[in-house]
Amino acid sequence: MSAAAARQSQPSPAGLDDAVVAAAEIVAGHDGAAELMVRLRHGNGVLSSVTLDPETGFDLLHAAGAASLGDLVGLAWSPIIKRL
Amino acid sequence: MYDILIKGGTVVDGSGAPGFTGDVAVKDGRIAAVGPAVAGEARQTLDAAGRIVAPGFIDPHTHFDVQLLWDGAAKPALEHGVTCVIPGNCSLSLAPLKIADRKALVGMFQQIEEMPPEAFTEAFDWTWEDFAGYRDAIARNLQLNVAPLVGHSVIRLWVMGADANQRAAKPDEIAGMQELLRQCLEAGAVGLSTSFVDVDEDGRPVPSRFSAFDELDALCAVLGDFGRMLQIVPEFYATDITLARIDQLADLSIRHGIPTTFSPLFDNNGTPDNAPRALARVEEQFARGARVWPQVQTRPIDISFSLLRPSLFLSRLPRWVRIMRLPLAERLAALKNPAIADKMVEDAGPDGGLAIMGELVVRGGDAAPAGYVGRTLADIAAERGEGPARALINLSLENGLDVAFLAAGRGHDATDRIGPMLASPFVHIGASDGGAHLASFATYGDTGYLFSEFVRKSGSLSLEAAVRKITADTAEIWGLKDRGLLQAGKAADIVVFDAAQIGRGEERPEFDMPGDGMRYVRDALGVDAVVVNGEVAWADGRYTEARAGRVCELA
Repeated sequence: MSAAAARQSQPSPAGLDDAVVAAAEIVAGHDGAAELMVRLRHGNGVLSSVTLDPETGFDLLHAAGAASLGDLVGLAWSPIIKRL
Repeated sequence: MYDILIKGGTVVDGSGAPGFTGDVAVKDGRIAAVGPAVAGEARQTLDAAGRIVAPGFIDPHTHFDVQLLWDGAAKPALEHGVTCVIPGNCSLSLAPLKIADRKALVGMFQQIEEMPPEAFTEAFDWTWEDFAGYRDAIARNLQLNVAPLVGHSVIRLWVMGADANQRAAKPDEIAGMQELLRQCLEAGAVGLSTSFVDVDEDGRPVPSRFSAFDELDALCAVLGDFGRMLQIVPEFYATDITLARIDQLADLSIRHGIPTTFSPLFDNNGTPDNAPRALARVEEQFARGARVWPQVQTRPIDISFSLLRPSLFLSRLPRWVRIMRLPLAERLAALKNPAIADKMVEDAGPDGGLAIMGELVVRGGDAAPAGYVGRTLADIAAERGEGPARALINLSLENGLDVAFLAAGRGHDATDRIGPMLASPFVHIGASDGGAHLASFATYGDTGYLFSEFVRKSGSLSLEAAVRKITADTAEIWGLKDRGLLQAGKAADIVVFDAAQIGRGEERPEFDMPGDGMRYVRDALGVDAVVVNGEVAWADGRYTEARAGRVCELA
């Protein structure tokens, strides 16, 4: 693949503004606590993830207006973290 | 005349070479001879027929800093075959530390290690400020070997005082930290630890997290003068940031000629690409000439929770989320309200919570009735004539909410993925956290679990490869002089074990912390004898009076 072709195949830059929660799971934290893993799908299709400690996880649910984990899926990420 | 002759075992010498039937002779704290048949008399002979004779295991990620002051064996680490521990990880060590800063550091230790406050007020005399003083304080009573790291947070505290967890350092402060680190390394520190993650007892970032990159770079320049290790805790909750830290470590490693290591690196189903991406980046950086060692632990991660503190474990259930977020008094009142409890049970599903909660296990060490400890909630609920969700609520209420429930193997538990990872030449087996998280889970027995799960069960590693990973490889990575190999002239750190039995016992509470504090421990399985610097330190299920441990000499 040429350098030009490689550049063309790269996903376009995308920030947090267009990220959407693709999944939210409870995962095991290294200290034995249940933590919240949020999987984000960015506008360019790239997936990334961030894992939150219990306190931040509860705050995130509150900021998102989510009654439970399932309510997070499909929400835009940027407005949630602005309310944290 | 030898001091000890270990006869007729299968010698697995730590090099990775195939084991062979033979003898190991010890004299004056050193390996005197290793071979198929070592001739000569000995004051003590250990019959190792049918057993493996290997170098003592080395645990590179522990928090035994405090415990070593009253327990030189770091119990129960020694009985698991561990003959050398590296404390001082995650930016925290007990020296250098001014008297005025003790209170601040104790808070950080209590947060990370869950050590009771009595550990700092009753269990030892705090006689030192500098690193050499701490080294001398632990050296008096050691039953195993120690290679202590110095913590970045305490170096900041010493130089910057209360500003340590407020701001970046000024040039003169960085110079002061460099000089202090130099003194610590001259006093025997095996390296520097730092953290980008940890918090103190008030949830504030520990001092190392206020460091700008130029500060870390300057400290690594000092490490470079000694060729010593930089250990970091990266933002392991986010893969992309971890990758950036790997690149940063690689640059520091190449620029200053130092080894670096980061811990932990976890695998879980939620982010299955996390570990593979990190390891791929590590491999790329090794190809550039960097030394960036990811530490991967052997044991699965469990989740433990009670209704006493907010837990996300049941956050798929809206009513449980709402109740768990309430302040304690209101939470207790809500749980006592039959109408609310009914709704919570309803939330748990038509099976009464059997699918979600049935496999939870009641843990000991708290207010849980002894008759319930170790049993599943499904079992207990059936006995009580309730559904699991109702039993969880009622059992908690009956015991002041202080009943812990365990969800076992909820992370880092896929043997088919973790086995090959542990076998990778780019992976450093570690991250046990020995001596930390005392009231949450047992941090002992990871070495036994390596053999039971990944040698015997999955076959991911040969016995020889597994031994090498936690002996010679570890000694080489950390620059521990004369450790990790059964060769003539090396330190006589030896473990004799049964390859068919070595493992870890069930987790159990033990009330042996200062102030009758509780911690979770695991007993060793299949370990017959442990020799430290030529003296039998543990045998026949008992600790001996030997005090042959020492602060490790470095290569």
